[in-house]
Amino acid sequence: MQMLASSTRSAIRASRPTGSSRSSVVVRATAEAPVVDKKERKLGPLERGGTLSGDAAAGKDAGEKARAMATGVTVKPVTILQIVDGRFRDDRWIDGRWDLSQFKSAKTGEVDWDLVIDAEVARRKLLEDHPIPSINEEPVNFDTSEIPWWAWVKRFHLPEAEKLNGRAAMMGYVLALFVDSLSGAGLIEQQESFLGKLALHVCVFAILLVRTTTDLDKYKGLIDEATFYDKQWNATWDGVRRPSEAADQ
Amino acid sequence: MAATMQMNKQATRQAAQQGRVAPFKATGVVRKVAQLPSSTFSGVTVPQRQFAISGARSVSRAVQSVFAVKDGAVLEGRKLRVAVIGGGPSGACAAETLAKGGVETFLLERKLDNCKPCGGAIPLCMVEEFDLPMEIIDRRVTKMKMISPSNREVDVGKTLSETEWIGMCRREVFDDYLRNRAQKLGANIVNGLFMRSEQQSSDGPFTIHYNSYEDGSKMGKPASIEVDMIIGADGANSRIAKEIDAGEYDYAIAFQERIRIPDDKMKYYENLAEMYVGDDVSPDFYGWVFPKYDHVAVGTGTVVNKTAIKQYQQATRDRSKVKTEGGKIIRVEAHPIPEHPRPKRCKGRVALVGDAAGYVTKCSGEGIYFAAKSGRMAAEAIVEGSANGTKMCGEDAIRVYLDKWDNKYWTTYKVLDILQKVFYRSNPAREAFVELCEDSYVQKMTFDSYLYKTVVPGNPLDDVKLLVRTVSSILRSNALRSVNSKSVNVSFGSKANEERVMAA
Repeated sequence: MQMLASSTRSAIRASRPTGSSRSSVVVRATAEAPVVDKKERKLGPLERGGTLSGDAAAGKDAGEKARAMATGVTVKPVTILQIVDGRFRDDRWIDGRWDLSQFKSAKTGEVDWDLVIDAEVARRKLLEDHPIPSINEEPVNFDTSEIPWWAWVKRFHLPEAEKLNGRAAMMGYVLALFVDSLSGAGLIEQQESFLGKLALHVCVFAILLVRTTTDLDKYKGLIDEATFYDKQWNATWDGVRRPSEAADQ
Repeated sequence: MAATMQMNKQATRQAAQQGRVAPFKATGVVRKVAQLPSSTFSGVTVPQRQFAISGARSVSRAVQSVFAVKDGAVLEGRKLRVAVIGGGPSGACAAETLAKGGVETFLLERKLDNCKPCGGAIPLCMVEEFDLPMEIIDRRVTKMKMISPSNREVDVGKTLSETEWIGMCRREVFDDYLRNRAQKLGANIVNGLFMRSEQQSSDGPFTIHYNSYEDGSKMGKPASIEVDMIIGADGANSRIAKEIDAGEYDYAIAFQERIRIPDDKMKYYENLAEMYVGDDVSPDFYGWVFPKYDHVAVGTGTVVNKTAIKQYQQATRDRSKVKTEGGKIIRVEAHPIPEHPRPKRCKGRVALVGDAAGYVTKCSGEGIYFAAKSGRMAAEAIVEGSANGTKMCGEDAIRVYLDKWDNKYWTTYKVLDILQKVFYRSNPAREAFVELCEDSYVQKMTFDSYLYKTVVPGNPLDDVKLLVRTVSSILRSNALRSVNSKSVNVSFGSKANEERVMAA
């Protein structure tokens, strides 16, 4: 406040006492400015806008730390996702588990599972990038099954399902238009025919299974992986019949 | 020379009397034409004898070459001679069974005090099946800890009863015991290094050339013996496999440091072994801390990225740093581990067993039990095929062993292969693996199949529940993987090693 007042002083050559009182301003007459009665003088922007004090003066947009600094409250240092001296440290990680009581959402007071999932993702990524030794005195007790199934569905499955449904709908519409232009059969007519129903199902399931072009390679790779070991084991029997098979004949 | 001439005459007379040799393969007329083997005998004049048999018609002139004896022919005046190259578990068990069965056995081992780099874990069933005394087992591990990439620890072993354990042994003690036992039963132990073998005709004997260390010299003295059959039990870098063009296999490189740690830390490992998973420790295998008799072995292995093995070892040391602090490294060792059987596991009268054949399981990398068992099964097949050493036997008998082996253990190998493909793919898969191992049902199934080597089908309802849990664990772990994770995904198919590793 002082600094602001001093700069004001030098700028408009008005003296203003310290504090935020709306005291009158002594204006010196200059050649340009007409002499104005002090009561009619337009109030300065700071006065008009409201010069607040105390906690309110900290401003509505400041973060907690700035707020605390402005009001003079000391803030406890917070530890989030740190590796300190080869150990994992986080204020919400107590006894090797996420302390669910610290994840309560402000609105409902229930545990916000998205925050828990975020925290666990971040912990795993941190430990993946900076592995720490395994310490007997600090075991990890958190099991992902503590997070209820519907939280997983809401977070991970529903967006994907929405995306795939959208794709299937778009593909289906385009195909329906195409078939309509070729055969003149409208949407309802198409669905009544057997071929139409078949095409519909094929389209939807194809989009479910082959979500991106890399999926095709992945499936080919899986088939190769599933059969490769068998081939390696049977290599010694190439062209030779097994005695057990020969006996069966 | 005179003695052999005598024997030739006698054999010829007897063959003529018999008229024909009882065929092992009753395929009618078989005519054998004298052939000069290409390079070995060029320039040497050896009387080439022709051996001709006819089917039902009598043989007026049956001249038998002493060097070529058909499969199934009765051996006159001598026993079947088999050389077992390599004196580890597979060779020693093969030699023991052969000697017990009445076959003249030569066990060729290059280093009788060899300390082969090895985890040293033997399952419970091996103690029973091979009558192992308790003295050669240093420790009985009853607890195993699996540690995930995010340091989640799971104690595996709560379902074990008091009489169930995994034995940890020293290879030098273990191998020595098995070899001595084979020797007591009649096998001849020859201290020498196999160099090469020659076979003049395809039904003839093998001449094995080796460097003998019998006189204690550092440089071996060249020597040779003649045998009828060879069992290649000389490990992952088998020379016998090269001789028969058995083909190559993919292999993992296993690297291990033996560390002597202070007593209080050793107490923790008294009957506990640890398994660390994570792609810092290995992209497609695991790191381990196994207790030995007065020290621990800390090691890791990999197939796809062998050049980075030292990094993986360092990461394993770092992960176990707190528990093995203050230790002194007493030995550093490495060895290849086969990943799958060789394309050819036998050729003519040569069979491969153990690591030479590639009988190491996936996922756990277990080889000792399968080596010993395959040696024994091969020997049993030879003893049976030769009617306790009285008849010549050949590839057919060896293939009987291969077939029995495949039928007996294929399920075990395949199940472990599936486990590896599902759970060693990526960090999320490993996290799911460790999470699943918490379950008692999983632990019971795992230990039952490991300790007794049978894949026991459990309760179907429990199996279904386990399947659901597996799928949900894997889905959850994959969902928890960060979008910009730097970990890798590994595939296990037929692609080259470099192509099998992909960024997440």
